[in-house]
Amino acid sequence: MSVNSQTVEETARSSDRSLAHQAVPVRWASRVGDAVWYRRIVIGLLALAVLAPIALLVYQSFLDNPFFQANAKLSFSAYSYVLSDRAFYEALRTTLVVSAGITVLAVPCGAVLAFLLNRTDLKGKSIFEIIVLVPMFISAIVLAFGYTVSIGPAGFLSLLVKGQIGRVPWDIYTVSGIVLVGAASHIPYAYLYVSAAMRNLPSDLEEAARTAGASVWRVLWDVTLPLVFPALVFVTALNLLLGFEMFGLPLILGDPKGITVLTTYILKLSTLFGVPVFQMMAVVALVIVLLTLPMVFLQRHLLRNSRRYAAIGGKGSRATPLRLSTTSQVVAIAFICLWIFFAVVLPVGGIVLRTFVNAWGVGVNVFQHLTLAHIAGLLNVPSLKRGVIDTILLSTVGAGLAVCIYMAIGLAGHRNRGASNVVLDYMILLPRAIPGLIIGLAFYWLFLFIPFLQSLRQTLVSIFIAYTIVGLSYGFRLLQSLLLQISPELEESARTTGATIGQTWRDVIIPITKPGLFGAWILIMMLFIRDYATGVYLLTSGTEVIGSLMISLLATGAMDTIVALAFVSIVLTAVALGLAIKLGVKVDA
Amino acid sequence: MKAVRGLMAVAGMVLVGASAGAYAQDNDLYEKAKSEGNVTLYSATDTAQVQSMIDAFKAKYPGIEVDYNDVGPEGTFNRVISEAAANQVGADLVWSSAMDRQMLLAQQGLFEAVELPEAKAIPDWGNFKNVLYATSVEPIGIIFNKNVLAEDKVPTTRAELIAYMKSDEAKDKVAALDPERSPSGFQFDTNDAKTTDNFWDVVAAFGAAGGKTYTSNGPVKESIDSGENALAFNIIGSYAIEWAKSSPSLGVMFDKERTAAFSRVIGFTKGAPHPNAGKLFLNFLLSQEGQAELARNGLPSVRTDIDASIGFDFDSINERVGGHMQPIPLDETLVTDMDNAKRAEFLTKWRDLVRNGG
Amino acid sequence: MPELVVENIHKWLGNLHILKGVSVSSEKGSVLALLGASGSGKTTLLRCIAGLVQPEMGRIRIGSSVVFDHEKRTAAAPEKRNIGLVFQSYALWPHRTVRENVGYGLKLRGVARPEMDRRIQNILDRLGLGHLADRYPDQLSGGQQQRVAICRALIYEPHVLLLDEPLSNLDAKLREEARYFIRNLIRELELCAILVTHDQAEALAVADQILLLQDGKNVQQGTPTEIYQRPGSFYAADFLGSNNVFEGTVDTAGAGVRIFGDDWSLNGVKMDASVSSSAKGRAVVRVENISVHLDEAHDRVRMDLEDCLYLGDRWEYRLTLGGLHAKATGKFALPAGTVFAEIPPESVWIYPQA
Repeated sequence: MSVNSQTVEETARSSDRSLAHQAVPVRWASRVGDAVWYRRIVIGLLALAVLAPIALLVYQSFLDNPFFQANAKLSFSAYSYVLSDRAFYEALRTTLVVSAGITVLAVPCGAVLAFLLNRTDLKGKSIFEIIVLVPMFISAIVLAFGYTVSIGPAGFLSLLVKGQIGRVPWDIYTVSGIVLVGAASHIPYAYLYVSAAMRNLPSDLEEAARTAGASVWRVLWDVTLPLVFPALVFVTALNLLLGFEMFGLPLILGDPKGITVLTTYILKLSTLFGVPVFQMMAVVALVIVLLTLPMVFLQRHLLRNSRRYAAIGGKGSRATPLRLSTTSQVVAIAFICLWIFFAVVLPVGGIVLRTFVNAWGVGVNVFQHLTLAHIAGLLNVPSLKRGVIDTILLSTVGAGLAVCIYMAIGLAGHRNRGASNVVLDYMILLPRAIPGLIIGLAFYWLFLFIPFLQSLRQTLVSIFIAYTIVGLSYGFRLLQSLLLQISPELEESARTTGATIGQTWRDVIIPITKPGLFGAWILIMMLFIRDYATGVYLLTSGTEVIGSLMISLLATGAMDTIVALAFVSIVLTAVALGLAIKLGVKVDA
Repeated sequence: MKAVRGLMAVAGMVLVGASAGAYAQDNDLYEKAKSEGNVTLYSATDTAQVQSMIDAFKAKYPGIEVDYNDVGPEGTFNRVISEAAANQVGADLVWSSAMDRQMLLAQQGLFEAVELPEAKAIPDWGNFKNVLYATSVEPIGIIFNKNVLAEDKVPTTRAELIAYMKSDEAKDKVAALDPERSPSGFQFDTNDAKTTDNFWDVVAAFGAAGGKTYTSNGPVKESIDSGENALAFNIIGSYAIEWAKSSPSLGVMFDKERTAAFSRVIGFTKGAPHPNAGKLFLNFLLSQEGQAELARNGLPSVRTDIDASIGFDFDSINERVGGHMQPIPLDETLVTDMDNAKRAEFLTKWRDLVRNGG
Repeated sequence: MPELVVENIHKWLGNLHILKGVSVSSEKGSVLALLGASGSGKTTLLRCIAGLVQPEMGRIRIGSSVVFDHEKRTAAAPEKRNIGLVFQSYALWPHRTVRENVGYGLKLRGVARPEMDRRIQNILDRLGLGHLADRYPDQLSGGQQQRVAICRALIYEPHVLLLDEPLSNLDAKLREEARYFIRNLIRELELCAILVTHDQAEALAVADQILLLQDGKNVQQGTPTEIYQRPGSFYAADFLGSNNVFEGTVDTAGAGVRIFGDDWSLNGVKMDASVSSSAKGRAVVRVENISVHLDEAHDRVRMDLEDCLYLGDRWEYRLTLGGLHAKATGKFALPAGTVFAEIPPESVWIYPQA
């Protein structure tokens, strides 16, 4: 208790003395006790799992034959073929048109929808908030078949209309058809992010405009939209990206008129040559990656600045809602119901109806042809039964394991100040830019040629790993946000009480995130259920899943089976979605 | 007493053995196959169609698992070449509807010749040096929607087909497989180009009618079934006949003058993991019993001794299509069309007629 | 030997130099308050001691081990420093009961179950929380949560107890009791405690030593009475207490020191050696040191009482002397007009102009 009272002068002099020794301090950071090795190893393994398929693709693109053939040499022939192929440029042009078209339609509609459900006193908000997200969870291939069956040239609805006015006034087998259908199912992605941004806006700016005399729609245009501008830019980039990766819709709807996009052009290439031309497929895949990567980076940059979530069935905006006039209410509700009819009821209804009839179309009364045979058929054929069971297995157990993996990676990146964090950031992004079809193919190769992986190829493990990589971006973001919600002080208080970082993770972080982990599990489950492209090349007995079975069954014309599988897929999705709503899971696109 | 009984037993066995010489070999093979325990196939044939054949095999030769992988024509080809390169041969038998690719694999030495007792019953055009065997003969024909196109108006010759497609009522209502995207489409079209003299006229008429092209059979069938399209040609007739059984709107027609037919071709892989089981299965597949099961499920047999009440065999299917069936022969000309230059030339010509004008 | 020694700590955040060479030490059984405005670096210093933040330069010793030394490149992780930290927001783990929260430190140190239970119950009882052992944090009041946080930090007898604004989340009434209670506890348990606060009353009441920080530097360190009654700088003088500040010119000629303006003059004392004659200066006079009378006396200054304001427990007087404006307090209301203020020279602290 005998410390001297120092005057200001003395203190200043002593610190000046010490500062005089060094002009700029050498920064060093001790990372003792920061789980450095854990982070490095996990991120290292991740980098390996992500870069291996990509490296293989790049290597393959510079060969003139499949890489495993003895006569494969380094060459630019694949690039020169693809880049001088008229069909490639047509596919590229179509992809750009479709992508742009979808974005131009989906973003404004999503924004208006977000505005209506967040900032106004629209009736029925709580129900709509759940329903509007549904299209996001339905597999694209199921949607495509659903549209064919409901509004194709001889679809249920089309024939009804034809009976009334003598012709079918629309054609879904066109670029505009694909754009409209694609836009309808992509609106939820725009809605989700714009909604999250709008949720947290204070209402005084809008109210000021209202009191000055602006109608609700003017408020939307002049006040609200400018305020959420970053979110709008983000969803534009997101929709463009999604447009580039579309596969199921153009596969089915583009087929009759030969409309090709980049992803279906890849499939076309091998038939064109009669032998697998993996080198050219790799080139096209890399072109797609080069086009989507900037958009992925842009998204990441924008996401940094604003991250929010929308809860399924959660409460509406905290701010005072804007009042809608009765006409506006009616118009708005009509608009939303119409969209839901088009985006959900039509395709899903189409599938459900088609599953239970064995004849339909011109001159047929469907109700005379009801049957359960298609569903029964699923149970009789072993590979189909396996497919259903494996899908359920993969999306329950597999999704659970995937969540654990994403959690391990999330922890590796949690409050990570080291250089490995930069690596992590990029590794998370890369798989997002590659179409699932190609990731599946690349993993097929890896499993074929890497000795210790070979025994796993014909097991569900191979599909599981491919799915986990495909879902990496989404899954990691889910887990990361759960982790970020924990106040740093809860971790710090564990450390100061004597817990190592590992013990802190075990005793504080993981238990607190547990409720959120269930939500993440269900979301990943839905992601796995709706995947169809990734398993195509890995398909073999023992790795059948509903999605890839549907694609492979196209060849034999087993539409009844395909539709029955689609029906099962819808049922599984509905169950998962129901669980999600029950748990009040927060949804992120 | 014991000795006499023993002698009689031996004599009995010898007698039985002698009367079924082939069967004795079979038994030996069966034992070896049983110890292998499994036979694996890569195939392009729908599992539903082969299920009863597989069940019959398992009933006759218990103790052998059948690992049947329906991976499609591309899948079979891809897997065989990549697995061979990786020394990871997974299948004993490769069974595909893409005849040209099977021939290519054979030429690359990825198949092995096998001598089998049942091979004798396979016609010459269906046996390529004991390396590739045709296991079915499936005519190619037309499917049409009965509600849209009356049965008596359906074209029965190529000339009639051209005339129909040129007519107004065919506008936007005709379909075919896209040779650019469908291996069987390519196969049938190139075969037509080789064996008929008016193939390009057909294509021109198809293009003029705004013909729709599809990658696979599923959507084609749906479009006919629903009446979206009135008619589709160069479709696998055996499928069509099966479809017609359960779809009241769907009808099948074959060309009176000449009906092409393709076969599903099977080969025995070099370095097969279970060679004996593979041979046993292959033999069964080619036997009357096996072929009968295939015929039962709509795959007409390549043999001539199948009971008509079970299904079609070569003779009865030939009769059904009007007696002028021309199977695509299993020989090396299948591959000469795979030449890249010829392929590109064919497809460009086709594309020009169908997409850009026509 | 001091339990905690902090030497010459420099901390940069990006390009911002947050701590500019702060040194301090503290003994067992005493409370050291780190006092300062926001941005002064006090919380950063606390976190440096805890190991949650790593300084660029300096040395920190806790107990007998050096936990940070930039020359030797050693920096011990927080869990190795054997400290206890009570967070401003308490940071109780919401998924654990009070018992589990408090006992975690013992569990980590491998204490056997029966012993652990005993010690938990002991400390909870001591702080009046014995009946709440199986509740969850969200079922407790603010004051209870604070005490649980304290139990958690104390139970394993750390070398140093760190408290980050422990009372700021409590309401005014509770705060006063709480600070008395904390002070006694620390003395009783003979802990070495470091308390961060921006509340001067808290620092004065609880601490044995106060370190006043401004802008990342030590301004003054001393006992509460030293700092309050003999502030060495204008900043220190003005930070504590409620004050009058007079700006004028200094005159050191003559017997004493004087500060004057155009129409006023006060005798005072030089608190800083750098005050020089004829230079501009500032004088700080604590409001409570001015007493106001109605009758004249030789050491009283004639001033005008402009107004008096009722504050409940006292009256506040607004006085002027020419261009000088001053505040004083007293028990009674006084009429506006001439009054005589007694401003003892030893309470007029003169500092140089900034």
